[in-house]
Amino acid sequence: MKARRPNLAVVVGVHVALVAMVAVTLYPVLLVCKKAFEPGRQFALSASPVPRSVTLDHFHELFTTRGGNGELLFLRHAANSIVVALLTTIVGVVLSCTAAYALSRFRFPGRKAGLTMFLVVQMFPAVLLLIPLYVVLNRLGLLNSVAGLVLVYSTTAIPFCVWTLKGYFDSLPRELEEAARIDGASPWMIFRKIVLPLARPGIAVTALFSFMTAWNEFIMASTFMTDQNRYTLPVLIQSTVTEYSADWGLFAAGAIVTSIPVMIAFYVLQRFLVGGLTAGAVKG
Amino acid sequence: MITRQLRDFGIGALAAILIATCAFVAVRNRELIARQVELAQRAAATLARDGVVEPGVRAVIVGPAERSAKHRYLRHRKVFDGGSWRPLVAGNSRDDKLIYDAANHFDRSGAFAALIPDGDARAVAATPAGTDRIAIAIAPPAAPAPYPFLVMIGVLGLGIALAAAGALIGGRAARAGTFAGIAALAIPCVLWQSPIAATAIVLVAAGVALAQHAQLTDRIARGLSRHRTALGFLAPAAVSMAVLVAAPFAIGLILGFYDHHQGTWTFVGLSNFVEILSGGGRSLDDPLNFWFILGVTVLWTAANVLLHVTLGVVLALLLSRTWLRGRAVFRTLFILPWAIPNYITALIWKGMFVGEYGAVNSLLKSAGLDGVSWFSSWATAFSTNVITNTWLGFPFMMVVALGALESIPRELYEAAAVDGARPWQRFWHITLPHLRPALGPAVALGSIWTFNMFNVIYLVSAGEPGGTTNILVTDAYRWAFERGERYGMAAAEGTIIFLILLLWTVFGTRIVRRGDDA
Repeated sequence: MKARRPNLAVVVGVHVALVAMVAVTLYPVLLVCKKAFEPGRQFALSASPVPRSVTLDHFHELFTTRGGNGELLFLRHAANSIVVALLTTIVGVVLSCTAAYALSRFRFPGRKAGLTMFLVVQMFPAVLLLIPLYVVLNRLGLLNSVAGLVLVYSTTAIPFCVWTLKGYFDSLPRELEEAARIDGASPWMIFRKIVLPLARPGIAVTALFSFMTAWNEFIMASTFMTDQNRYTLPVLIQSTVTEYSADWGLFAAGAIVTSIPVMIAFYVLQRFLVGGLTAGAVKG
Repeated sequence: MITRQLRDFGIGALAAILIATCAFVAVRNRELIARQVELAQRAAATLARDGVVEPGVRAVIVGPAERSAKHRYLRHRKVFDGGSWRPLVAGNSRDDKLIYDAANHFDRSGAFAALIPDGDARAVAATPAGTDRIAIAIAPPAAPAPYPFLVMIGVLGLGIALAAAGALIGGRAARAGTFAGIAALAIPCVLWQSPIAATAIVLVAAGVALAQHAQLTDRIARGLSRHRTALGFLAPAAVSMAVLVAAPFAIGLILGFYDHHQGTWTFVGLSNFVEILSGGGRSLDDPLNFWFILGVTVLWTAANVLLHVTLGVVLALLLSRTWLRGRAVFRTLFILPWAIPNYITALIWKGMFVGEYGAVNSLLKSAGLDGVSWFSSWATAFSTNVITNTWLGFPFMMVVALGALESIPRELYEAAAVDGARPWQRFWHITLPHLRPALGPAVALGSIWTFNMFNVIYLVSAGEPGGTTNILVTDAYRWAFERGERYGMAAAEGTIIFLILLLWTVFGTRIVRRGDDA
């Protein structure tokens, strides 16, 4: 660039400062990686992020621990997590895509109020709905059931999907739809034959995000799923390090296995996330 | 004309049928309970007088509780059942457990009769039968009266006839017909002696007739048919939101007026709210005092947002230097905390702080400092939460700030440099004004996220020491799940949290976003 190059001291200073910050940022992550491969249950006996000896025992234990009925617990919990997150995603996307399209393309009284409502609901703290939902699901006998947790997660997944998909529909050109309308296509046909195929990338991103949100959710799952067979992965991971018995090696192994897939997805999708979040907050 | 009349009548009738059905179910259940309780009571009294009990009712005489010879903490009872005495044994299918519990309840609080809340509409009653003996009767299961379909169809037909007749005459008679037709559905409610439901139905009828008079129904119908495509598209999400969000939200509002104790709900009016907002008679530094928790929450939110913005902006400014090497690598590494699920982050930091030999203490010791017992004082425990949340939250602000910095035209800086502006002048007059519009919404969003950040508080400090580091959302959770299932208190606090957030989004974020107006 044309900007003048500053003197060497500033250049070195900035690089050193950034490297130091990176070290602080990476330190906890490195400690967990170290713990996953180091023998022992204690979290850290030394501050060094380099393991003294390497073992795969924690991973072995994670994958081979069996529950009361002899089933492999980790696989069981992973299956629970996958089923809950998948169903939540399907419910969220299917129920919200037509509404997102309507909010993006049609003008009708109450549209602004509807948009605001979908936004405000996303700002609800979890406990606000958790308590009445717990009381109701308890009455209906839906505690400890996948269906109950999916319903609970849908309370946040649907508004999230509506907003993100609405943002994506806004960015699609309207010319194709107008041409189809002139040719006599019904709104539903336009939506199904033109908009949905065009919106496939947006739907995929939205679906991935709502999958990740459900996959990473802890407190609802921990409250609603108290039977060990019904745990999702976050509940399993938290249960390895309770106050009375903490196995940090097992925790580290579980944390790595659970977060790597979502971290990869996050890095692939992060540019969509920032745009979507701030767009949602700015527009009204 | 007649179709419009029937349409309006149909809507009113639907509401009226709904009300009538609720009234019917309430009246029917009340009567059934009264009948069953009375039956049990009568049988117990009959047995106590050595009379003959009606068939179907199970009635027995129970002896006094006697200490077991083998286990002194156990008490036995004997029951006179089918002509001879036998011991009462739990697990014996013939209601022995129920009889034993009823006898104990009798010993504590005297004669009683009550419904057994197991869905079968059985009732149990106990009365004294001579010294030390108790007569206990259990009324058999009973089915409630069936829904009176014929009656309902009859009055509905009458209503349709009235409404149609009104429409045929036309003019004012049409409105009268609507009113009379819907009000006809109040007739069964009067028969069931449910004045509230009858009044409600008459009010609905008057409302629909008035709306018809003001041509409101026509206008609404026109609006609905004009926007029927949009409404059809909206319906799936709207209906599911009504069921999944609006209904629980309304239930939560209502639960705030109830107290929950061991499975029974009691209406307590505003007393939950009063207890919360008055601090419940606790001093201001008591960790259960609402105002103390609110103070901690505000401090928590302010400290985190401040640290997130400062750290994020500083890093973004460093990363936006044009001569920087490896910017993409730095950026990728800095957003790592954002990518990690936050419950895992919280647990990692918990592990680093906990115990004498935690990683943080080891670091302090290797720097020649003393280790700190992080969770035993308020300031250090609060710091662990803030440190954890700062670590996981700064990348968002950094990314937002980086985006804003990239959108600043280079020419502005070049022009400023030509005019001889100093670096801090360029920052103050060019960089900051361009950062504000992007950071405003980000700060608004971040403040709400932090206010609601349950996982960090719950998993890192867990409120330690002694609940002093709880924030509002974790405190509400603890009312429900860690302090004897006080769902009413939790729901009331949830309502207050919602009102605070509402005030903040309406007024507070306007302050934060002031930069937008420029």
